[in-house]
Amino acid sequence: MINTEGMVAETATKIFTDLCPREIPHAAEAGEYPQALWDALQENGLTLAWTSEDNGGFGADYDEVFGAIWASAQAASPVPFAETLIANWMLDQAGLAPADGSASFALSGHTPSADIPFGMHADKIVLFDEAHQEIAVFDNREAARSPEEALSPDGMTQFIFSGHVAEQSAKTNLSRRAIEALILTVRAVQMAASMEAALDLSIGYVSEREQFGRPLSKFQAIQHQLATAASESAAATMAATQAASAIAKHKVDPEQAWHEAVIAKVQIGHSVEAVTVPFHQVHGAMGYTQEYDLHHFTRRLWAWRDALGNEHRWSKLLGEELAATAPDQIWKGVTTGEWIAS
Amino acid sequence: MQRFNFPVVEPDPALEELRSELQGFLKEELEAGNYRREPECWMSSADPEFSKKMGQRGWIGLTWSSQYGGHDKTALERYIVTEETLRAGAPVGAHWIADRQHAPMLLAHGTEEQKLNILPRIAAGECYFAIGLSEPGAGSDLANVKTKAEKVDGGWKINGQKIWSSGAHMCHYMVALLRTSPADGRNRHVGLSQIMVDLSLPGVTIKPIIDLSGDAHFNEVYFEDVFVPDDCLLGDEGGGWKQVTGELAMERSGPERFLSSYVTLETALWQLSGKMGSDSKARLGKLIASLRTLKGMSWGIANLLRQGVSPETEAALVKDLGNRLENDLTQQVRAMLIDLPSEEWSSEMRRILNIGVLRSPPNTLRGGTTEVMRGITARQLGLR
Repeated sequence: MINTEGMVAETATKIFTDLCPREIPHAAEAGEYPQALWDALQENGLTLAWTSEDNGGFGADYDEVFGAIWASAQAASPVPFAETLIANWMLDQAGLAPADGSASFALSGHTPSADIPFGMHADKIVLFDEAHQEIAVFDNREAARSPEEALSPDGMTQFIFSGHVAEQSAKTNLSRRAIEALILTVRAVQMAASMEAALDLSIGYVSEREQFGRPLSKFQAIQHQLATAASESAAATMAATQAASAIAKHKVDPEQAWHEAVIAKVQIGHSVEAVTVPFHQVHGAMGYTQEYDLHHFTRRLWAWRDALGNEHRWSKLLGEELAATAPDQIWKGVTTGEWIAS
Repeated sequence: MQRFNFPVVEPDPALEELRSELQGFLKEELEAGNYRREPECWMSSADPEFSKKMGQRGWIGLTWSSQYGGHDKTALERYIVTEETLRAGAPVGAHWIADRQHAPMLLAHGTEEQKLNILPRIAAGECYFAIGLSEPGAGSDLANVKTKAEKVDGGWKINGQKIWSSGAHMCHYMVALLRTSPADGRNRHVGLSQIMVDLSLPGVTIKPIIDLSGDAHFNEVYFEDVFVPDDCLLGDEGGGWKQVTGELAMERSGPERFLSSYVTLETALWQLSGKMGSDSKARLGKLIASLRTLKGMSWGIANLLRQGVSPETEAALVKDLGNRLENDLTQQVRAMLIDLPSEEWSSEMRRILNIGVLRSPPNTLRGGTTEVMRGITARQLGLR
């Protein structure tokens, strides 16, 4: 289970419960940004939870912050909370001050542009420039923002780095794998939380909706579809929990957690169809409407499974790594989560 | 809301030490030619000599008190032993079921005398138990059992038939779910009791059922006026249904519900070393991600058992996911092996893969079908 106890997680849960009821994601899609929600998160310092105390943050345990991210996804909150946390963590790791306002992130490999999650609502963009081992901050407010055809209601924009000068930059020892481990784990937590929230919606719907003179929930065909989806959701939560535990355990060296994070990415990515298909099926046409809540979760699941590359790409990357690993070490990884020989 | 409870277990060096001991023993036994590795070994590969060796090393009866021949350890130690023997494909079928479900039942419901008499023999790897649930007319609909135990002077007289009794031909006892009084109208859950039957008694007939591969590991067991004394009643008269619910949770709770075919994958990994193509690597990545995730869930169940919680729903859910995974594993390995011309496959690879294919159908049946598992999960979701 994702740990939702502790001050950070509990404060966040209260804010999302109070300020992000179901109308908020609907309003955000109609263009009404939930400024009050964002302000509350900032005023309570939650966007600085992973920023060290030296840089004006909380320096909170990784573990506790995952509980806050869980709460944000369960509420389908349409603000770049997780993105800002990640961006500020990247800055902190390079000894830079946290972003003034909201932020999103990009990892550059070899291309001069990147897809930016929440690109329309992020004040800053934090880039990991792998070639130069540098973390750089760009102002996103002045950039020409062209929304891409995005799966997620949170949107995605292209940012062309070549036309912009970084506001600040610093060398970093962070490896690409360390950053990937954190981002993939955050997405895993969000996805598991979304699956469980959509499961709750589905159970509620089939218990109320009647056809042939009885609630849909009384049909065995419906029960089995949701039982399967519940199993997959529980597996997703376990995969996210193991990735989060690995990050918490290897604090100073998140690269050590890479395998567990990739496993979560692969497991959860592959299970998206296994949950969104039955969730939509049992909702009938209602689940396909903008008016109903289901798409707040399913569209984000479809977007997040593509983030940093889809589940097929990551299955292959993981498999390449494993194919070069001794079978004894693979067994050790499966049974204990220790993937690198000590 | 997180609907299911799979508590994470912190790493423990003592557990890893136990794992190394197991690995050493299993390797030695394999190299000495004392067993052949097989998928589904816990069900279809039984060797009393091997079970006795495990008993001598203290690897059976880990979870119960030394007062009853046990080793005062937890469900986590037991898990390590089961996990390592499954990986090795070792012949653990003789003692597996008694250690897994009958000993915990005796501990929970047995009399002091029953515990003192039976448990030390189970822990020694010398006393084996058969499951006595299914009947010709009672499969998924278990409450339909018809085999009767009639109260007679000083004991019970049993008549009827059990079926699909794995290993009954080498077992000493069966714990049979029997009708001891009539159902109360439509409520068939009343009037059922569990009785421990010595399978060597007069009137017990055990007939093998040959499976599709030619193996004879399961049986029909007939009872004809079999007399058992009063002290063979296990738990409460009429409390059988409730006890069986707990028994089934134990039966479904272990790593044999998702790791039974791991030996097939590991054999293929050695075969394919340095030869895997891109497609196979992607299959491997996905398989390992699923195995690691299921391990977390299954390990969480062991932790629930350690805490004394009966993991009824969690076990049903993991059994459903795990059975699908272990059958899929065999199919994924078939697909991966196209990277190696079949004439280059070792005879060991061919043997293990074929056994895995032949033994796959019962995975989603025994211990409760996939459909029954989904029904249990649906009940937990509040749908029925």
